[in-house]
Amino acid sequence: MDTPGSDEAIARAAADWWTRLREPEPSAQTLARWQAWLDADPRHAQAFEQLNALGELLRTAPAPRRRELLEEFAPRAARARRWPYALAAAAALVLALLGWWGGWSGAGRQAAPQRYASAVGENRDIRLPDGTAVALGAASALTARYGDARRDVELAAGEAYFAVAHEARPFVVDAGPLRIEDLGTAFNVRRTGQRVAVAVTEGRVRLSPAGAAGRLELAAGQQAEYDPRSGALSVSPLPAGHAAAWREHRLEFVNEPLAAVIANVNRYSRRPVQLADPRLGELMFTGTVNTTTIDSWIGALPHVFPVQVSSFADHVVLSSAEH
Amino acid sequence: MEAPDGSDEAAGEGSWLDHAGRVAALYREHHGALVALLQCRLNSRADAQEIAQEVYVRLLAMDHMDHIDSPRAFLFRMATNLSVDYLRKRAVRAGLPPEPEEGDWASAPLPEQHAWAVQQWRKVQAALRELPAKTSRAFVLHVVEGRDFAAIARDMRLSERMVRYHVSNALAHCRERCFAPEMP
Repeated sequence: MDTPGSDEAIARAAADWWTRLREPEPSAQTLARWQAWLDADPRHAQAFEQLNALGELLRTAPAPRRRELLEEFAPRAARARRWPYALAAAAALVLALLGWWGGWSGAGRQAAPQRYASAVGENRDIRLPDGTAVALGAASALTARYGDARRDVELAAGEAYFAVAHEARPFVVDAGPLRIEDLGTAFNVRRTGQRVAVAVTEGRVRLSPAGAAGRLELAAGQQAEYDPRSGALSVSPLPAGHAAAWREHRLEFVNEPLAAVIANVNRYSRRPVQLADPRLGELMFTGTVNTTTIDSWIGALPHVFPVQVSSFADHVVLSSAEH
Repeated sequence: MEAPDGSDEAAGEGSWLDHAGRVAALYREHHGALVALLQCRLNSRADAQEIAQEVYVRLLAMDHMDHIDSPRAFLFRMATNLSVDYLRKRAVRAGLPPEPEEGDWASAPLPEQHAWAVQQWRKVQAALRELPAKTSRAFVLHVVEGRDFAAIARDMRLSERMVRYHVSNALAHCRERCFAPEMP
C-alpha cells in the first residue's frame, strides 16, 4: 500500500516508534533500533518531532478543549474524569515555585549566572527564574544574571524572543553594541555579530547603542536595526507575523546584506553556506527563508543574484557567477 | 569543554577533563534524540530539555565511564528512568493521576503560536472523525487524557498491543492531516 520511503510510510513508522517509546520501560534494544531509524533519514527525525508537537498540543491544551474531544470520541471516560480547577491551579503553583527554587539553585540573594545555548537547527524554550519566557533560536547563546535589584541578560549570539514577566526589577538585554531595556514587553532580538535587530510585539523597549548618548524608544509594531558600520539605528514598521516568525520555521529579512542573511541561515543549516567572494555579502536581500527547506532556497539564489552554487557533502559555496 | 593541555598537572584532573570531554561529545551527538525521546514520554519540550540537562549533570558528576559498555545506551536508560521518576513526582504533586498544567493558548508567548494551536486542533478534530470509532477512542484516551495502554486495554477489552496499534494509526492519520507536504 504505502511505498517505502513515502511520506505516509514515514509517518506510520514514526507513529509506531512514538507509541513504543511511551511504554513504561522501553528496552535498550528498542531504543537502539529507534535511534538507528532516526539516523537513517533526516525526514524520520522531522516526522517524529511533528508527532511530539501534536502530542504536546493535545495533552496541554486548555481543559475545555480536551474535554470536548473526550466527550466526542470517548464519552464514558470523559464523564468519569473531571478535575477541580483549584487543584490544577495549586499544582501549577507548586510547579512554579519549584521552578523558581531550581532556577535559583538555593543561592539566596545572589543567583549564579544561568547559561543557555542551543545547537544548530535546534530551537529551545526557556523559562527564566522570574517566569520570563524565552524562545531561543538555533545556534544561540544567552546568559541570565539575576540580582536583587536587576535582571540582566546577555545575548552572545543568535536570536531570542522574550515575553518578560512584569516586576519591579528592570529587565535588560545586552546584545553586543546594543542595550535593550524592557518597558512592559514582548520582543525579539536577533544578533548577527555586531549587527542587531529588535522587533517589538507588545509594549515598549528602550534602545541604547554603546558609545552613543542617544536613546530610542521602540513601540509594539516597530522594529529597529543597528548597523555596526554606520552606528545608525533605523526604525521601520514591523510587518504582521514577522516578529519571531523563526519559531514557525521562517526567517524574514528586509533589506539585509546577504552576509548577515547567510549567517542566520547557517544557524539552521546542516550544511553551512560559505561566500567565496566577500563582495557577494554586500548584496541586499529581502524575503523569507524557510528553515526546513534551506537547500531549495540556496538552489534558487542564482535566479535573483549573480551567484553560482557549488554543493559539497558538508558545506555549500556561493561564488560569483561567471558570464 | 576543553581538552587537557598536555602539561603534567595532576593526573586526576586530566582524566576528569577526559571524562567531561566524553560527556560533551555524547551531548553533542545525542542531544536531539534524547530530547525527542523525553518529549515523547513527558508531552512537554520544556520538561524534556530540563531532564536532558539533568542527565548530563549526573553523567558529569560521575568520575569516569570506563565501566560502562555503551555510554549511549546508558545515557538513554538514565533518561527513561528519570522520566519515569519525573512523571511519578508530577502525579504525586497533583495528588492524582498525571494531569498536565492548565494550558492556555490565549496567553501563549506568541500570537502565531496561538493561531497555530487553534488551527492544528481543528485539523485533529476533523482527522479523528474520519477514523473508526475504536481507533479515535483509544487515541483520545491515551494522548488527550493521558491513560496508559494497560488501562485502556481493560476499559476497551482489547489487548495492549491492539490499543497501541489503534493509537499509532490515529496518530499517523492526524500527522498526515496536520503536516503532510502540500502537493504542488
